[in-house]
Amino acid sequence: MARQRAQRAKAAEAPRETFKSMSPSEFFYHYKEIAGFDNPTKALYQAVRELVENALDATDVHGIFPDIFVSIEAVDREESFYRITVEDNGIGIPPNNVPSAFGRVFFSSKYKLRQARGRFGLGAKAVIIYAQATTGRPIEVYTAPIGSRRVYYFKLKIDIQRNEPLVLARGEFENPSGWHGTRVSITIKGDWSRARHRIYTYFQRTAIAAPYANIVFVDPDGNVVVYRRTLNKLPPKPREVKPHPHGVDAEMLKQLISRSNAKTMLEFMVETFQGVGKKTAEAFLEYAGIPKDLDPHRLSERDIVRLVSKMREFRKFRPPSADALSPLGPEVIETGLRSILKPEFVVAVTRRPKVYEGHPFIVEVGIAYGGEIPPQEEPMLLRYANKIPLLYDERADVAWKVLHSFDWKTYMVTFPAPIAVLTHIASTKVPYKAAGKESVAEAPEIEQELRNALREAARKLREYLLKKKREEEAKRRIVTFMKYTPEVAKSLAVILKSYGVKESDIREMLLTAMKKRLGLPEEEFAKLVEGLEVSVEE
Amino acid sequence: MAESYIDQADKEARKRALEVFRQRFREVLEQIRRGENPFLMLPKRTLSNTIYDERRKLLLLGPEKLKRSFFDLHEAKKFMQTLLMARIIFEALERDEYPTIRDLYYRGKHTIVYREPGGRRHEENTWDEQRESDAVIRDIEVLTGLLREEMLILSKEKGKVVGDMRIRSGGDVIDLSKMGHGAYAIEPTPDLIEFLDVNAEYVLVVEKDAVFQQLHRIKYWRQHKAILITSAGQPDRATRRFVRRLNEELGLPVYILTDADPYGWYIYSVFKIGSITLSYESERLATPQARFIGVSMTDIFGDPKSGKKPYLTEQERRNYIIKAKDADIKRAYELMNYLWFQTPKWKREIEIFLDKKAKLEIEALTSKGLRFLADKYLPEKIETGDWIE
Ligand SMILES: Nc1ncnc2c1ncn2[C@@H]1O[C@H](COP(=O)(O)OP(=O)(O)OP(=O)(O)O)[C@@H](O)[C@H]1O
Ligand SMILES: [Mg+2]
Repeated sequence: MARQRAQRAKAAEAPRETFKSMSPSEFFYHYKEIAGFDNPTKALYQAVRELVENALDATDVHGIFPDIFVSIEAVDREESFYRITVEDNGIGIPPNNVPSAFGRVFFSSKYKLRQARGRFGLGAKAVIIYAQATTGRPIEVYTAPIGSRRVYYFKLKIDIQRNEPLVLARGEFENPSGWHGTRVSITIKGDWSRARHRIYTYFQRTAIAAPYANIVFVDPDGNVVVYRRTLNKLPPKPREVKPHPHGVDAEMLKQLISRSNAKTMLEFMVETFQGVGKKTAEAFLEYAGIPKDLDPHRLSERDIVRLVSKMREFRKFRPPSADALSPLGPEVIETGLRSILKPEFVVAVTRRPKVYEGHPFIVEVGIAYGGEIPPQEEPMLLRYANKIPLLYDERADVAWKVLHSFDWKTYMVTFPAPIAVLTHIASTKVPYKAAGKESVAEAPEIEQELRNALREAARKLREYLLKKKREEEAKRRIVTFMKYTPEVAKSLAVILKSYGVKESDIREMLLTAMKKRLGLPEEEFAKLVEGLEVSVEE
Repeated sequence: MAESYIDQADKEARKRALEVFRQRFREVLEQIRRGENPFLMLPKRTLSNTIYDERRKLLLLGPEKLKRSFFDLHEAKKFMQTLLMARIIFEALERDEYPTIRDLYYRGKHTIVYREPGGRRHEENTWDEQRESDAVIRDIEVLTGLLREEMLILSKEKGKVVGDMRIRSGGDVIDLSKMGHGAYAIEPTPDLIEFLDVNAEYVLVVEKDAVFQQLHRIKYWRQHKAILITSAGQPDRATRRFVRRLNEELGLPVYILTDADPYGWYIYSVFKIGSITLSYESERLATPQARFIGVSMTDIFGDPKSGKKPYLTEQERRNYIIKAKDADIKRAYELMNYLWFQTPKWKREIEIFLDKKAKLEIEALTSKGLRFLADKYLPEKIETGDWIE
């Protein structure tokens, strides 16, 4: 009895927890740094970035030459409130989707196997949540889908606890000029003076990877920067693809099955996955020991797990299609690097698609050398993933690792050197280290490709440097011989004057002999001596 | 007319030199005319190309040649410098001038101003230091086979001579026995000196000027029928050439008196077989017959092997001997490698030196007594043949 009492008393004293759930909005409201909104400096930069990336996704992904306008205005200097406005000429947003697109965390049109800058369905909402937390002001959106006769207007906030949009106002206007695109404005607390450098760098890097875009940026001090289109060509449009059998896990397979109307496993395999024809499907099912006319919906949990591992093992699926990818291409990279960094030499390499965890990826590397690039102790690294410039956490990035274990000397680069290296990883699944999209993890496949691409580009750089060195050597020789020619000619003329030789004749003869000696074609010689002047002060 | 003051011997020398220059550089012009890379062939002036001729006992320039081409990045400047120096010397010869090597340095020091094809302006001197132009003069000497004296280039006078002897220089007759307390400075062009008459039996060369003066004051040269010379340290070319002529043309034996240390020995060796840096002139400057009269190690310590008694007492040795420095020891080891120091007597000298690690200056002997040096030491050694060859 006594023992029972004691036990009861103990239970009454035992610590009791209370439980509740948290909505996705609430989560990011509490953990802003996960989305990149650590402080007013980073937040201002991150907000600009999220909105600009949405604008670019609405244009080049869909074959539209981007025209992007961005402004940051100081609306309250004392409180450090800044209004950010981003306008694009993209595909717009269907009006019925606007509230969710901006009012519901994890609502996106980009949850598909198609390369885009956006991935998580979070960016715009993270900006709004941060605005609500710091200024309490709503977002304003004007949008018109392509062909829309009206422009739609929304003013909204997010009901953070319920992760739902709170539309404060909406409107519609005539669209006589047939404008399409989106314009969003939002006011947040920021630190312009600290974020300034980073934001400018961001625009510069964005422009490098998008020389086919017009980008105008007006900063809070009224400065206007214009990046004009320098290339009239867009990268290939990415196309949505079906998943690859190597890219699914048990959970995903379960979802795919439940969404499928297929009656047999054979049908299911052919309809659901990319690059799987009837033959391949039959061969695989036989390999996996699954009857081809089995109804996929009857697979047990254990069957599904086994199926996934068999799919991973099976080597005869076609490699993942790269249709979903949109690499920049050498022309875009070279044009971008050339117009922004003004180097003397650029080269870019786009590797062939490779596979990483069932997803295709393409690595690209560009090298810019000399010109206006200042010599530095290590290469200036311009990292991109799915066309987004990555600015923070450089040292945590796989590209940094590759660059720093690279044997530059083999390629005639010795530091300090005026060199910039651009790396781009394009994939339907970029292994970002965090939702802020600042660095890429060290996947061995990606690392290897980066190294290959860098080698390929560096070889071209070396060819260039070799040629340049040869030219410089020729020039050095010419300068050396030419500068001593006057003394030599004069001396011979003095000593041999009794033979009647003239100094000018000797000079001429020396020049002829020199050209013969150097073995350079006439024009090249002329080019190298152009502007060379020599005089002697006795 | 100014012409008439110019010595006939000088005139002849100039004419000869000018012609050599013309011949030599005509080849270069021909190369250029043929569109070739113009070059000069020079004997190499390096230690590796310095050889000791055992038969003639001379240090000579070896057979190695150096091709100095104009259109060669590393040779172009040297080539230009060589031609420039040739021209300045040529002009001086034509104008009856007697430049010093310093004059030549200044005359040829020009600034080349050039603007590179990228627009940058540079300045470069034809040469910066006299060291550079001096080296080019040596190149011209080996290239033309003319010594600087033959090109009427002057250098500082360092050597002095007194003795019962008359010479003609620049048209004047000079009596070397009538120099008072002074002495005749051996001119930079000793080949233009004419020996008139001599009343002497040998030549005594003293390394130290101070000892020379002391011996001169007591008229050592008259009493012992000697031509007394000092090189005042390392001998210059004129002194060496003058000594050589006395030996060769007048048949006078030459005795050399230096400090008892490796540096003294090397001075002797320069007189006798030539110097490494100027080996190309040995044939005209060296005196292979020259004898090292002292001060030798055996003079100081005696030699139990040969039974020779020392000139110094135990007490004197203690007073005068100086402890050899590391540099002396090092130099002694270097000398051991030279073929001409590998005779038994020299080996013995070096051996004693390395054993005792002691050196001695000539002045020690005058301290013991000027008369000792003049009346005992020198005459006795010459008489008994106590010298090293
Ligand atoms: N400027 C725009 N033009 C067209 N559609 C837009 C624009 N901005 C946002 N959207 C739509 O709103 C959706 C949500 O945008 P949001 O930035 O929140 O997420 P996301 O871009 O899909 O992913 P991420 O979190 O990686 O940025 C987008 O998927 C897109 O469909
Ligand atoms: Mg986004």
